[in-house]
Amino acid sequence: MKVTINKQNEKTLVTLEGRIDTTNADQFQHDIAPLMDDERPNIDIDCSGMTYTSSQGLRVFLLLQKSVMAHHGTMVMRNMDSRVKEVFDITGFSNIITIL
Amino acid sequence: MIKKRFNPITDKSSEIIAFLMASPDMPNDLDLRFKIELSVEEAVENVVHYAYEGGIGWLEAGTSLDHESLVLTIELRDAGVPFNPLEKADPDVKLSADQRQVGGLGIYLCKKMMDSIEYHYEDGNNVLIMRKIVKDLKK
Repeated sequence: MKVTINKQNEKTLVTLEGRIDTTNADQFQHDIAPLMDDERPNIDIDCSGMTYTSSQGLRVFLLLQKSVMAHHGTMVMRNMDSRVKEVFDITGFSNIITIL
Repeated sequence: MIKKRFNPITDKSSEIIAFLMASPDMPNDLDLRFKIELSVEEAVENVVHYAYEGGIGWLEAGTSLDHESLVLTIELRDAGVPFNPLEKADPDVKLSADQRQVGGLGIYLCKKMMDSIEYHYEDGNNVLIMRKIVKDLKK
């Protein structure tokens, strides 16, 4: 899993590549921790390179979404792989996270 | 059944998942493999993290494929604390982000991704059996 964070003026562009699974979910949480410090987050995540997530990854996305809401910010996820999208659909995460 | 006993299993999740996914019983189709791998990961993680309450223990993992019905069977067996993961209530997937609790999705994903899951306690062992039809995708 590779996480790239690019802060531009008012917006934070994030690119996710690879798999989020039991071996790296803690590292993933650590990598995206800076996103939870934004005062008024405006986060745009490109998921086109993300090939897999287990519940360990979902856990981190939920924490991030909760943080964004607590800071009255916004977050969108884009270009999600259809198999990964199904995981978000089944768990109801498609209803609580904006997926474009 | 192609099977292997891992002992101890502390920090062995990836090795156990890799063993199961490398089985010749597994389909080649990527959509099916995704669903199976996800279920395997969630089920194995459950045993590795919770079965032995911090202690050291074993897990036996195996696969079999019925070439007539094309039903793939994955079996996990451990001698940990008796625990039926299927008794756990499903998460409410309609709640808002504020209301959602972090965690509790693993077994739910297994139930949704596989065609059937059963659990029984036998000779002091937890036995979890997950099945998936891999029809139409094998030559």
